[in-house]
Amino acid sequence: MATLTDSFLADLEELSDNEADVLDEDNGDAEQMEEDVDGDLADIEALNYDDLDSVSKLQKTQRYNDIMQKVEDALGRGSDISYQGIVLEDDPEYQLIVDCNALSVDIENEIVITHNFIRDKYRLKFPELESLVHHPIDYARVVKKIGNEMDLTLVDLEGLLPSAIIMVVSVTASTTSGKPLPDEALQKAIDACDRALTLDSAKKKVLDFVESRMGYIAPNLSAVVGSAVAAKLMGTAGGLSALAKMPACNVQLLGAKRKTLAGFSTANSQFRVGYLEQTEIFQSTPPSLRMRACRLLAGKSTLAARIDSIRGDPTGKEGRSFRDEILKKIEKWQEPPPAKQPKPLPAPDSEPKKKRGGRRLRKTKERYALTDMRKLANRMAFGVPEESSLGDGLGEGYGMLGQAGSGKLRVSAGPSKLSGKVAKRFKEKNYGSSGATSGLTSSLAFTPVQGIELSNPQAFANQLGSGTQSTYFSETGTFSKIKRT
Amino acid sequence: MSYLLPHLHSGWAVDQAILAEEDRLVIIRFGHDWDETCMQMDEVLASVAETIKNFAVLYLVDITEVPDFNTMYELYDPSTIMFFFRNKHIMIDLGTGNNNKINWAMKDKQEFIDIVETVYRGARKGRGLVIAPKDYSTKYRY
Repeated sequence: MATLTDSFLADLEELSDNEADVLDEDNGDAEQMEEDVDGDLADIEALNYDDLDSVSKLQKTQRYNDIMQKVEDALGRGSDISYQGIVLEDDPEYQLIVDCNALSVDIENEIVITHNFIRDKYRLKFPELESLVHHPIDYARVVKKIGNEMDLTLVDLEGLLPSAIIMVVSVTASTTSGKPLPDEALQKAIDACDRALTLDSAKKKVLDFVESRMGYIAPNLSAVVGSAVAAKLMGTAGGLSALAKMPACNVQLLGAKRKTLAGFSTANSQFRVGYLEQTEIFQSTPPSLRMRACRLLAGKSTLAARIDSIRGDPTGKEGRSFRDEILKKIEKWQEPPPAKQPKPLPAPDSEPKKKRGGRRLRKTKERYALTDMRKLANRMAFGVPEESSLGDGLGEGYGMLGQAGSGKLRVSAGPSKLSGKVAKRFKEKNYGSSGATSGLTSSLAFTPVQGIELSNPQAFANQLGSGTQSTYFSETGTFSKIKRT
Repeated sequence: MSYLLPHLHSGWAVDQAILAEEDRLVIIRFGHDWDETCMQMDEVLASVAETIKNFAVLYLVDITEVPDFNTMYELYDPSTIMFFFRNKHIMIDLGTGNNNKINWAMKDKQEFIDIVETVYRGARKGRGLVIAPKDYSTKYRY
């Protein structure tokens, strides 16, 4: 309790008066926490708390120390994995691995808590840093490196962060509103950073251990994704059975980090991929197919985890076949689509016609039959040159049209081929004028039956006398002007 | 594109090709692979060969390598296309005055396919002379 009161006093000294009410809340929370006997998982709301030890207690627990001790022993022993037919749950090694998984989840939580602690401390110095560097461990490393330095050009962040982020960080630092921390607060922040890094290395050790036993615990899963990723998946999910119960879409996201995109789009940034992106299969897939590959991997690794969770196939054969399947599928996606073959035409007239005749067909034919005029235009008289639209045989030829010799311009309509009903209606319509008595009406009836013939009276007169037939060029004509004397 | 089409290297092979085909047209291009006109024609032939394979088969004959038919078919043009069906030469009225053969390079694939279809139809009905769907007299060329 002495440390608590001390820290409260320190708080009072540090904080400005407008944060006094916040402090009161903290006080209450802290007392609650003290009452919390288990203390395994610190309450997230109590994190504003000033003293690191009261916030993160995992390292002090018996369980943490026991497991870490065992892990180190086991790692020192090396892998002497026995494949006897003992039930898995009774195997002490398996128990240890299950504990390790639980512990790694706890460590992960602890790291988050410590991260919050560091953020609270360091916010006064560099408020923007937490939005630029999301990952707790990265954040801790950067904080440790920067310390109280105000000019970031003097701090070499190379190797801690990607170069693009380094640039953003140093640019932001030049305009930051933060002030250097007092020595005491800085010391606390740096201690917390050390704590976070220690926890991280402990977690790494646990994961290394789990990884080394992965071939025994989850042979199928490690065949699909590799033992390192399998260990991480199991650790994050909280054990093999938890992983087996998880849907594939969640497995895909296990270990997904929030990323700083620095204003770039999410389209190409592998946004929603967790630990599966570290698998060999994922890395060897071209970027355009990675998302698909990831879904596939997640699905198969879930299946493999389910097999492992009931010890369905201790040899890992099923997992290897899953892996082959995935590889084959990815290869198949990359094949170009089959070339398009030109489709040969069917032989003409190879299949019998579908229309054979009948009343309806006959009617249609009648309706679309050649007219007399068109028939005449298509026909040529022997020895008589046709007239044409442009003259002298140019343009469209008229055939026998207008050449009948009678001077006919209009071809008389033949007997109508329209159906009886239509013809009757047509007649009724058109005979209207014939019975009229007004002087303006004509007694001439235009009937569709007979048609009307208009003749050019001069055509007859010219036929022998003048016109083309008696010119200089005509075959019968002579030199008309010159008379033989 | 002449390398894509089968060549016939002897008079006997030409005869066999014409004789052996039972229910398809045999189209033979007489000329030289290196000839410009032939190259143009072969381009069209090679591209339609697959399309018309159900009712016509295409062969190329080098008239220097196989001079046997030069006098009989009067092969003196750079490129000559002739049609045969069941060992019978099918004539086409193209409007050019020469009904025996196509002796210029056709550039339109569809036109060529149309001609082949017409020839096939006529030949199946036993006609020795068919009328091309399009008139190739100079009147319409320009």
